Amino acid sequence: MSLSYFLQRTFQLFLIVFIAITINFLLPRMIPGDPIESALATKIAVSGNVSVDVQAVAEAYRAKFGLDQPLWKQYLNYWNDILHFEFGVSLVNFPETVISKIRSALPWTLTLLVVATLIAFVLGSLAGALLAWPRTPILFHVLISPFMLLSTIPFFLLGIILLSVFAVEWGILPAGGGFSPTLIRGFNIATIWDMVEHSILPGLSLVLGSLGAWALGMRALMISVLGEDYVSFAEAKGLPPSRIFFWYGMRNALLPQVTQLALVLGSIFGGTVLVEAIFSYPGVGTLLFSAIAGKDYFVIQGIVLMLILALAVSLFVIDLIYPLLDPRIRYND
Amino acid sequence: MHWLGRVFRSQRLSAVLVLGVLILGAVVAFSMAGPAFVDVDKALVGAVQPSQPPSSEFLLGTDSQGRDMLAVMVVATPQTLKMGVIAGLVGIGIGLLLGLLAGFFGGPLDTVVRVISDSLMTVPGIAILIIIAANVESMSIELMALTVASLAWMNPTRTIRSQVLSIRERGYTAVARANGQRELEILFREIMPNLLPYIAASLVGAINGAILATVGLESLGLGADNVHTLGTTIYWARRYSAILRGQWWWWGPPIALISLIFIGLFLLSMGLDRIANPTLASLPRWRPRRRKRRTTKPVEQPVAAFSANGGSQGTQSILRVDELLVVFETQAGIGAAVDGVSFTLRPGERMGLVGESGCGKTTMASALMSMIRSPGHIDGGAVVLAGEDLLALRESEMRRRRLKEIALMPQAAMNSLNPVMRIRDQLTDAILAHEPQTSQQELTTIITTALEKVGLPASVAERYPHQLSGGMKQRATMAIATVLQPKLIIADEPTSALDVVVQRQVMMTLARVQEELGAATILIGHDMGLIAQFSDSIGVLYAGQLVERGDIDVVLDGPRHPYTRLLVESLPDMETRKDFVGIPGLPPPLFNRPAGCRFHPRCPFAFERCYREEPVLQDVAGRAVACHLYPEHNDLPPLPSTVNLGNDVVLTNGTTSAANEVQP
Repeated sequence: MSLSYFLQRTFQLFLIVFIAITINFLLPRMIPGDPIESALATKIAVSGNVSVDVQAVAEAYRAKFGLDQPLWKQYLNYWNDILHFEFGVSLVNFPETVISKIRSALPWTLTLLVVATLIAFVLGSLAGALLAWPRTPILFHVLISPFMLLSTIPFFLLGIILLSVFAVEWGILPAGGGFSPTLIRGFNIATIWDMVEHSILPGLSLVLGSLGAWALGMRALMISVLGEDYVSFAEAKGLPPSRIFFWYGMRNALLPQVTQLALVLGSIFGGTVLVEAIFSYPGVGTLLFSAIAGKDYFVIQGIVLMLILALAVSLFVIDLIYPLLDPRIRYND
Repeated sequence: MHWLGRVFRSQRLSAVLVLGVLILGAVVAFSMAGPAFVDVDKALVGAVQPSQPPSSEFLLGTDSQGRDMLAVMVVATPQTLKMGVIAGLVGIGIGLLLGLLAGFFGGPLDTVVRVISDSLMTVPGIAILIIIAANVESMSIELMALTVASLAWMNPTRTIRSQVLSIRERGYTAVARANGQRELEILFREIMPNLLPYIAASLVGAINGAILATVGLESLGLGADNVHTLGTTIYWARRYSAILRGQWWWWGPPIALISLIFIGLFLLSMGLDRIANPTLASLPRWRPRRRKRRTTKPVEQPVAAFSANGGSQGTQSILRVDELLVVFETQAGIGAAVDGVSFTLRPGERMGLVGESGCGKTTMASALMSMIRSPGHIDGGAVVLAGEDLLALRESEMRRRRLKEIALMPQAAMNSLNPVMRIRDQLTDAILAHEPQTSQQELTTIITTALEKVGLPASVAERYPHQLSGGMKQRATMAIATVLQPKLIIADEPTSALDVVVQRQVMMTLARVQEELGAATILIGHDMGLIAQFSDSIGVLYAGQLVERGDIDVVLDGPRHPYTRLLVESLPDMETRKDFVGIPGLPPPLFNRPAGCRFHPRCPFAFERCYREEPVLQDVAGRAVACHLYPEHNDLPPLPSTVNLGNDVVLTNGTTSAANEVQP
């Protein structure tokens, strides 16, 4: 891989991070009113008494953000905090820090997201390629069409349907959470199985929700690749159909498909957040849901920032992987 | 609407599109007509009976506040649709404006638009929406729609920008510009109509995205205050644990309605996509080979196939093609692209196959390889290679013959190599497909030898196709085609994409390799000069039929078929400095061929018999010719200075006069 390519992508990564952090700083300050004041007011109104907590939070908040200071100074302070992973404290669970909350939720989300996206991407691309392959039996076309329609329904609505069918009506899978409340966690088969069992339904929502879209995209790409001259030359070489399908067809059609993965990763992130909230999966999504319900502003902001950074890093990684897949980029100096 | 009319007439209006419109129409009708049948007040005021399952009184049951769910749906559906449409329209409006400006004027404006939309695309939209929605004190439907729209314009912008760019490059835009139309006029006259399918598809996509985002925000509890929408209904159902309590009538109807909307939009966009890209709509299907029964005539039996020397001695032939018939069946009609072609080839013989485009040369090559793709198929005949009828083989058996016995050098060498595989791997998989036992060491030797034979250094094996020049790519395909020393090489215009100097070098290499292998070769092309230099014999194809076949010197010195004559005459002659003569007219289209001799509408010598009777190949002066002039004539009559060509085409003889034009 050429150095200039790497530097260019690295620069892009930093640019996106910079823009995202700046937006995250500016947006709440552009909106009139003091969200913290109103959050505290709500809290007092709900609980009915002015607890010590609220006072302490208010103190910490003023000290930290110094809203009396000029904007540029606030901005610098903000950067300083972020570089030290200081996203403030939770208003609801004071004095727990935002970063510790995110840190305990993130592994759940990442595992669910990565595994489900990989499964959906691989199965969907394979199905789409088969849909474009002239030798695929008609039966396959018939079997795959319901999945196409399922994928038009948003992830989280699929989640509700799956939840009520498999967990509520049939009771064969857990209805929510990341593990059983009674589970004694350890590094053993029982623990792992319990966690897998809890991740099946949210994972299935994510897979079913995107499988059809991958298949549809891959079908179009594969159709154009199969019309290429190198595919007919491969046939003239007497290669077995499976070799032509995978190494001449799919191998080439996958390149734009990976670019597409980079483009829709953002909406997959969003979908995962919502699915987690449906299943109370102990990831970032559920954290965000409860933060919104409790108007826990610092947690919301921290998570959003986290999402943006995670997406930027994922795109960066995809960009770095891409040249390994496409020699035309790898060797373009 | 000119564009709509075209769509309706062209039958591209697929069932998918109609179904999508019907589903969406049903949802809209429900939300419009609902208030006439349902008491909407029940959606606001709680009835006495909360959490009732569906009954005759409450068709969709009630929620925990006792609201009638049917009434709630009637109230909520139009709100969701309204938000989606507002956000979609605003998004597409911004996208159209920016996309048109960026695509049409380009320059720094384009760069700015692209950078902003690209970087916003890489930010998870839901995150920004959450930040906005969470910070707004009181949310209204309109504000919600605008919030969503603020992130719905990037996709339309990208799509429209790239489409404008591609349309700008097309011929008719350049023609309009050359005709002196002003840029703005071009924008509205030429570009907008062609953009419409893309705009429609983008609008559908934007509405889809907007509804998805609003429903997502709402089910997180970030929706508009005090309004029933489908999304907020789901939120409240979750808040009151309707899902865990099995109260499906509470969350079921909104999910069903949202799903219907999304399915409708999906079908709609698929239908629009097919209008924009018709190739996606119908795919060729692979059909199993129609295997002939193995009752083909034995090779020794004399056949009506003509070898180069004009006789019918079928012995000692390496290839015998017998009454080969390739038929294409489409909606436009049925036609035989190769129509009863027979010929034989001696071992080591180099045959040139010539004819204008559309005469069936490439189809012929594919048929010999048994690689005719749907909607075409081989409908009859025999291709006997070294005593074995290839058409009687199973596909798996035929696959083992390809490359090993009969190899094809394809027409488009530029794109015939897999761009993501090294040359070594593209040779290796070919070898291993036929000789799986080959060891690594043997492979290296074979590959090095094959590359050196075609004049390439061994280091080319480690290269990717994009690192090679055009001539090197053609040599690489030659190395692949000859690596297993086939008995027959079919070279389909192997040098058409190369410049003249490289052309010659590649042809010389091909001739040398062919000689070393002793393989018979069929060289397809329309460059008579190249063919003349390379071949021992020649076959002339016209409209799917062989019209003249014989030794190269015999045929070129005194062509007997009028078509061959015209092809030879069309060769520019350096010595006598004749004027260039083209052949007036075009070969007949596949599905509409003339009766009698297929060449008669363009033939300067056509007479009455040619209009009704199809000529067959006969021996004439040491070669085979299919023409009614023989055996009455011995030679082709001199071309009259002006001849009436069939109906109204008049050919002026170009050998003497400078004004050789085809007059209408």
